[in-house]
Amino acid sequence: MSVSITSYLLVALILFCVGLYGALTKRNAVVVLISIELMLNAVNINLVAFSKYGLYPAVTGHIFSLFTMTVAAAEVAVALAILIALYRNKETVNVDEMDSMKR
Amino acid sequence: MDTLMQYAWLIPLFPLLAFIVIVSFGRQLKEGAAAVGILFTAVSFGLAVLTFWQRFQEGATDYKFSIDWLKVGDIVITMGFEINQLNALMLLIVTLVSLLVQIYSKGYMHGDERFPVFYQYLALFTFSMLGLVIAPNLLQIYIFWELVGVCSFLLVGYYYFKPEAKAAAKKAFIVTRIGDLGLFIGICLLFWWTGSFELSQIFDSIALGKLEPWMITLAAILIFVGAIGKSGQFPLHTWLPDAMEGPTPVSALIHAATMVAAGVYLVAATYPLFIASDAALNVVAYIGGFTAIFAASIGLTQKDIKRVLAYSTVSQLGYMMLALGVAGAAGYVAGTFHLMTHAFFKALLFLGAGSVIHAVHTQNVFEMGGLWKKMPITALTFLIGCLAIAGIFPFAGFWSKEAILGAVYEAHRYDLLFIAILAAFFTAFYMFRLFFLTFAGEARGKHEAHESPGVMTGPLLILALLAIVAGFINTPYAPVFGDWLLSGEVGTIIEDVFGAGEGHAAAWLQIAALGVSILGILLAWLMYGKRAIPSDAIPEAMPWLYQLSYRKYFVDEFYHYVVVVPLGWLGYLLNLFDKYIVDGLVSLIAKITRGIGALHGRAQNGQVQSYGAMVLFGLLLLIVAITLTAQGGGVLGIGQ
Amino acid sequence: MGLANSILLTLIVFSPLLAVLILAFVPRHQGGVIKKIGVLGTLLPLALSLMLFASFNYESSGLQFTETAKWISIPVGLQQSGAIFSFDLGYELGVDGISMPLIVLTAIIATLAAVASWNQKKRLKEYFILFHLLLIGMFGVFASQNLFLFFIFFELTLVPTYFLIGIWGYGEREKAANKFLLYNGIGSAVMLIAFIVLFMYLNTMNMDKIAEILASSGNPASAAMSPEFRFGLFLAIFIAFAIKLPVFPFHTWMLKVHVQAPPAIVMIHSGILLKMGAYGLLRMGIGFFPEQAYQFATWMAVLGIINILYGAVLAFVQKDLKMVMAYSSISHMGIVLLGFAAMNTIGFQGAMFQVISHGFISALLFFLIGMIWERTKTSMIDELGGLAKSMPFASGIMLAGAMASLGLPGMSGFISEFFAFLGLFGQMPILAAIGTLGIVLTAVYLLRAVLKTTFGPTPGRFAGVADAQPMEVVPLVVLLGFIILIGVYPAVLANPLQQTLKTIVPIVTGIGG
Repeated sequence: MSVSITSYLLVALILFCVGLYGALTKRNAVVVLISIELMLNAVNINLVAFSKYGLYPAVTGHIFSLFTMTVAAAEVAVALAILIALYRNKETVNVDEMDSMKR
Repeated sequence: MDTLMQYAWLIPLFPLLAFIVIVSFGRQLKEGAAAVGILFTAVSFGLAVLTFWQRFQEGATDYKFSIDWLKVGDIVITMGFEINQLNALMLLIVTLVSLLVQIYSKGYMHGDERFPVFYQYLALFTFSMLGLVIAPNLLQIYIFWELVGVCSFLLVGYYYFKPEAKAAAKKAFIVTRIGDLGLFIGICLLFWWTGSFELSQIFDSIALGKLEPWMITLAAILIFVGAIGKSGQFPLHTWLPDAMEGPTPVSALIHAATMVAAGVYLVAATYPLFIASDAALNVVAYIGGFTAIFAASIGLTQKDIKRVLAYSTVSQLGYMMLALGVAGAAGYVAGTFHLMTHAFFKALLFLGAGSVIHAVHTQNVFEMGGLWKKMPITALTFLIGCLAIAGIFPFAGFWSKEAILGAVYEAHRYDLLFIAILAAFFTAFYMFRLFFLTFAGEARGKHEAHESPGVMTGPLLILALLAIVAGFINTPYAPVFGDWLLSGEVGTIIEDVFGAGEGHAAAWLQIAALGVSILGILLAWLMYGKRAIPSDAIPEAMPWLYQLSYRKYFVDEFYHYVVVVPLGWLGYLLNLFDKYIVDGLVSLIAKITRGIGALHGRAQNGQVQSYGAMVLFGLLLLIVAITLTAQGGGVLGIGQ
Repeated sequence: MGLANSILLTLIVFSPLLAVLILAFVPRHQGGVIKKIGVLGTLLPLALSLMLFASFNYESSGLQFTETAKWISIPVGLQQSGAIFSFDLGYELGVDGISMPLIVLTAIIATLAAVASWNQKKRLKEYFILFHLLLIGMFGVFASQNLFLFFIFFELTLVPTYFLIGIWGYGEREKAANKFLLYNGIGSAVMLIAFIVLFMYLNTMNMDKIAEILASSGNPASAAMSPEFRFGLFLAIFIAFAIKLPVFPFHTWMLKVHVQAPPAIVMIHSGILLKMGAYGLLRMGIGFFPEQAYQFATWMAVLGIINILYGAVLAFVQKDLKMVMAYSSISHMGIVLLGFAAMNTIGFQGAMFQVISHGFISALLFFLIGMIWERTKTSMIDELGGLAKSMPFASGIMLAGAMASLGLPGMSGFISEFFAFLGLFGQMPILAAIGTLGIVLTAVYLLRAVLKTTFGPTPGRFAGVADAQPMEVVPLVVLLGFIILIGVYPAVLANPLQQTLKTIVPIVTGIGG
């Protein structure tokens, strides 16, 4: 039995939209970070799906998603570090209050 | 024999030289400036006499000379000079009067702190006026036409610290400029219709029938508008009486003898244009006639000696226009003839008035009186002037006025004839009213009057002599002047159209005109000399009539409320328009831009999430737009 | 001589750099030295431009003193053949009969304006450095034969002017400077768009080539541009330069500048910078799109008349002498438009005469106003009066300047006015007749302003005011001298203009039939 590419893409789409919704609306910075991870993973699903069922199936997609995961892990580490530093300064992880770009 | 005429261009050049010398060395020369001006003008006068003499020879041909001045495209504009009968006559008149006035001014202006400046202006004026009368083309005429206007402006405003002089100078310049506008438009149109500024070529084009009748009429009337402005004809006459704020010698030279006659000269010089259009001639005749009677009726009641003379000038200029307008060789001769005699006796009258003002330091005739004994020479010469202008036999004015009446009579224009005779009556009356008030009776002012110095009375005597004898060159029995004037090129054209005119009145007309004048003098004597009739009889009987005349028919007030005030209001309205609408619109645009900016600024709240949402929104819009616009071509037109 | 002539234009354009360099090394506190360098520095371009005037060939109608060099080449793609396809922007200078007199005018006015800056006290070093940078821009505008170069120089004039107004002006200087920049920025933007479109279609920035291609109907690049499209381009160029000229309703910026800028800068501004509008209009508007200009002629005439009458009526009610002169400039620029609208040699000649003549006259009058302000600390007409008593010389010159401005024969204003109107009478007599009303109105407002200032009784506070000093007499006499020279002997200016105008007019009149 083979699952069609549409199903993969649909899953990725749903995942991406959930992530996007979270990233744009959640007030807790940690949740926002998690949401961004969701979006990244949605992209990963797409990459893998295309590398199997795309016009030119190749292994590149798999390797790319591995890369993404590694880089995402590193990114989350940095992001969390920044968050902790922010929390120490401002005692909050609320995204609403992080508007120092405006000032 | 044409050798002398080739050097006629030197005539205007000498006053120009005088101008340059006085401008350069005025401060060193001081009152010596007078000597410079007189000397150079005397040379010009000498040359003018020689030129005139040569013109008077049998068979003298018109002389014309020109050089290229400016090339515009394929058109070459030339400058030069032309000597024909009319020009030579004008040269003589202008140099003579200018010379006498400059001699006179040496006494009159003595002690003035801007003495050299006065002579500067006089020299510049003489140059411009001479340049005007020898110009062979309309452009050159216009150039000098404006220059004499500016000299007049400068001299009227000579006493710059007096507010009245300032206002009068401004008025003189602006009102004449309105007239100049007509001339300007006329010249431009004629240029496009005939392809030239040259008078001779324009006349040729008319003779060849290249112009439609309406074109000729329009051009002639436009040129006449210029003459109206310069010669103070109704309705642009208002500047001339005000121009009396200038020094009196200036009034004599510019506002009596020469510049104001330039309008008459212009009509005479372009006469072939006028005679090609009856409508234009009628306009000239009726405006001239109306001005003659209109100004004369104002002159009846004025109290300022110079203003009476000024209105008299306006009236006499109207007379000349009337003569030119009734057409025919006779009218042409009569108008020009009167121009000449008027130049002499009106300059005489003004200089005489100047002599009186110099002595009594007032211009109000009711503060004068009894000067006959104190200033015998002035009084005598003034009397001669009055007799001449009133047209009493055998003074110059008699002959020229009689020529005009004859021309009008011959043309069967009885309405105009009536006006002319009535104006003659008025003229005689107000001139002798002036004379009796000034010289007869008891002294009414507190002044120690004494005769003016010889440098002032000398010119008076010369002009008085001319006022007596100048008329004899064109008596009905020996019309030397008329025959001579018509022998030139323009004269030939006129004679071709109308045939040679007799132009002299029947004997009964002469006697009637003389009688009317004597009647006027008699009435003036009864009212102001013998005081048999109380002089305030009419003002008391009909105050409104008196006021109408005394207030100059309220023309000035009319212009003030119809032209000046609305112009000011228009200006203020437009100023508000400019400030609030034109500039306001721009400010509005700036404000809208700033408003949009502010609106946008509020979106910049520093929240990453709202930025993200905006990016998302923008992306969606873009995608929708692209999908909608790319029909069948797919996204971004790929795959076409 | 040969070498000098071959780079003469470059020398003229960049000669003010010398003064800038020297000034950069002079200590700030040595005001006297800076002033001297500032004034002497303008003599170099003046001498060079007089050389240009002397060696100009009057017989030739084309460009002279041309200089071409490769400058910028931007590779943008490959052609079918494989060759690199690139945008070439050349360094191209040259003058013809229209631009040569303008360069000479610029040099003369610049020198006199530098002399007029003698009384400047504030931040002299920066002042003169900016002044000379401005000069480079102005010379460059008139000398460049390449749209790109033209645009750069055109913009180069904006920046120094902005600072010269904004720093050295009177009370509301910043506002005036901002307004100046805003309007001219918009004008430049419109101009740039037009230039870029031209470049995209014709693939050249050389003015001569553009005119040539646009005129030849056989050329495919030219055929690709429909008449309507051309009309749009013409309109864009017209608007760009109309803002500069300025044409109603784009004129309000100019009023502020004339009132607020220091006198020397107003001399340059009104004398030369405004003229760049007229120059551009003739060179690019009418030169590139003669047919469209011909269609637009009636509108140009109408706009010109509006300018003349509107400016004149408003000048009549102004209370500030500077405002009178500012509106007078608007009125006089209307005459330029009328001359252009005439679309014949006479009209163009009148317009170009007006450009030059108004340059001299307005420089003279604004210099005088600056002098009066210097002495009385006011330029309000009602507060002034009777200056002829204490300043006879200056008042006399002022009267002469006013006379020149209102078109007295024998002075340059007459020639320009006369020919502009004469030209228009040949095409649209009725519009021309309406326009001549401006002649009377000009007399009305100028006499009102000048007589109120100089005539009348002298108030006690002005009794001790000094007449013109030697340093001030020089510009006055020189300017008046030029005004009279052009008025008496107009051929001095007409001869160079002749040949070039002859090349423009046949194209235009060929259409008119």
